Amino acid sequence: MSAALKAEAGSPAGTTRWTGGLAAMSGRNWVVPGFLVIWTLIVIVPLVVLFSYSFFETKHFQTVYDPSFDTWISLFQSGRFEVTLRSLRIALTVTAIELLIGYPFALWLAKGGTTKTTKAVVLALLTIPFFLDLSSRTIIWRAILGQNGLVNSILTGTNLIDAPIEWMLYTEVSVHFGMIIAFFPTMVLPVYLAINVIDEALIEASEDLGATPFQTLKNVIFPLSLPGVLAGIVFTLGPALAAWVEPSMLGGGFVNLLSNSIESAYTALKYPVVAALSTFIILLLAVLLIIMLLIARRFGDLSSTFRVLKS
Amino acid sequence: MKDKFSTTSQLELTRRTMLRAAGGLAGAAALTSLPGMSGVAQAATATVNGYGVTTAQLKDWSVMTDSIGVEMDFAGTNNSVGVFLRDVVASQLGDEVDIFIFESGTEDILGPQGVYLPIDESHPELSLWERTSDDWKRSAVVQDPDGNQWGVPVIGNADSFGYFPDKLGVDADSDEEISWSVMFEDDNTRGRVAYDQTWTYSLGPAALYLQGKGDATFGDIANLTRDEAKMVVDFLIERKKAGQFRTLHSAFEEQVQLLANKEVDVINCWEPAVREANLKLGDGATKYAYTKEGYFKWGHGAYIASQAKDRDNLDQIYKVLNYFLGGEYRALQARDRGYAGPNMDLGVAYAEEQGWSEEEIAALKATEAKVNRKFAKPYVSTTTPSNADVMEEEWQRFLNA
Repeated sequence: MSAALKAEAGSPAGTTRWTGGLAAMSGRNWVVPGFLVIWTLIVIVPLVVLFSYSFFETKHFQTVYDPSFDTWISLFQSGRFEVTLRSLRIALTVTAIELLIGYPFALWLAKGGTTKTTKAVVLALLTIPFFLDLSSRTIIWRAILGQNGLVNSILTGTNLIDAPIEWMLYTEVSVHFGMIIAFFPTMVLPVYLAINVIDEALIEASEDLGATPFQTLKNVIFPLSLPGVLAGIVFTLGPALAAWVEPSMLGGGFVNLLSNSIESAYTALKYPVVAALSTFIILLLAVLLIIMLLIARRFGDLSSTFRVLKS
Repeated sequence: MKDKFSTTSQLELTRRTMLRAAGGLAGAAALTSLPGMSGVAQAATATVNGYGVTTAQLKDWSVMTDSIGVEMDFAGTNNSVGVFLRDVVASQLGDEVDIFIFESGTEDILGPQGVYLPIDESHPELSLWERTSDDWKRSAVVQDPDGNQWGVPVIGNADSFGYFPDKLGVDADSDEEISWSVMFEDDNTRGRVAYDQTWTYSLGPAALYLQGKGDATFGDIANLTRDEAKMVVDFLIERKKAGQFRTLHSAFEEQVQLLANKEVDVINCWEPAVREANLKLGDGATKYAYTKEGYFKWGHGAYIASQAKDRDNLDQIYKVLNYFLGGEYRALQARDRGYAGPNMDLGVAYAEEQGWSEEEIAALKATEAKVNRKFAKPYVSTTTPSNADVMEEEWQRFLNA
């Protein structure tokens, strides 16, 4: 538990100098307008510029500033918009799978009676991959999953199968696989942090009141860990949407995702296409985020997501 | 030649060059990190600033300094023409850079825009110009469609595909011509083919094949119209659905890996990929094809920044351009990368003078003969076809199919 939280718990009125200071700051009338101005300048304005670019066209490597819907029409005619849907579908699937395997893992790590040493070792193992280049980590799988790869060699060598399995590489399956490995830590770490700060007393109280382990999980642990879950989803979904190493290296060109499509558009300097694709994905994300916020509101305050990360 | 993952070796792409070129900040980053940029005018120093593809680099520029007394300060870019055009125009790189080196195409756009300086063919330092064959000096690599001379040829090659002779049932010792059908339609190779993922590299050869087969004729294979591109893509989609392609690759390292792991039997790749694979598999395990229909012929040109006309190192710049036409550069490029260029005979003469081994000299001669044979067939590629927007768009259909 962090010092700030301890101080908060120890203070009768629930305020400290630190939170009181924050309250005083937000009381000043320049903070909110100031934030809005900066936010508009660095986020909204570029987005508007981006959006307006999608109504131009590129001819022979030069942007033609003649507003039309041609770029948007071509987005649908070339099947390019499918790229955004496919990216979204794969990113959501990966995030859901991460949550399914990451949550029990985080639960075990935080509350499974693991020793401090085990925790330290596991956390180190989870973070070390961040320091290695993603391409190098990913390309290795090609030597393992390929037709003449390790897995197929073992399976054919032991006569378990006659012909090498082909779907293990250059398919959506292998792309999902690569991404699940890459994004495991981004899901587990926030969830772990959230579960870790849940007071043991609450869990014990739940048991004392006769709750089954499942009821404790459902009624106590899960709601309290929700901020971590939301953080995990945000940290996983975002990068998964932008993933390009895994689809390029393990998809074998057959899994055309957003990043690859933008890269390709770039070879012809088609900024308008890039703008339209980006606008489209931002719209989809906004819809998703609103849905998430609505769900989160049922369980409480979303800003607590970030309090978990502070601890 | 697209290569977005390269981080290593053969092309000597340094990691920094790649990172610099990879991100959206490439322009700004490249500017701030170009070596030798003092912002001070070049004065009469014997240094020439180069910017361009790393394939054109010598392993060691000091060899050139010893020969002609000019130092080269070279900053690499990656192979994306989009990145290159943006850097050169938006960042006004010509303020600092004397010589740009890039694959054919940029001169069609940047020449008429006044970013490149027309080549002064009678410049006294360009002494080898006269003897350079028209195949090289008048090619679309260094001239625009109107015949204006914007560049000097540097290196080039005719790209086809790498293959395993035993898998195709071809005599490993012969140099017989193989049809591109093994890439697209052969039942023996179905599911055993890797095809490059980028439209600039892959749309042309498919059109070339269809033309050779007599199924279609094209105005300009390097610059397909929407209808032409659509026809080629429809054919490729049909082949993709038939399971012809095992994978679509996008990087030099992938090409090497696919061959070295025997993951595919045929792959449209760079010639050095075959060399690399053979280092692992043994000499002659894979071969680079002579084809029936033709090749993806490419070349790099060296272009002078228009701002350089007001500098007083123009003589040094022409010395370097002349050096690109000479024997030393030719011999070193051919030995180290297997790439050819203008005045191959001077390269051979240089190697003999320098006492290179018989084997190395024979290899140089073989490179010359190979290129002469291959360059007799179509087609000359460009990175900047005027129909790039529709070609790229059609290609997306193929990728999404």
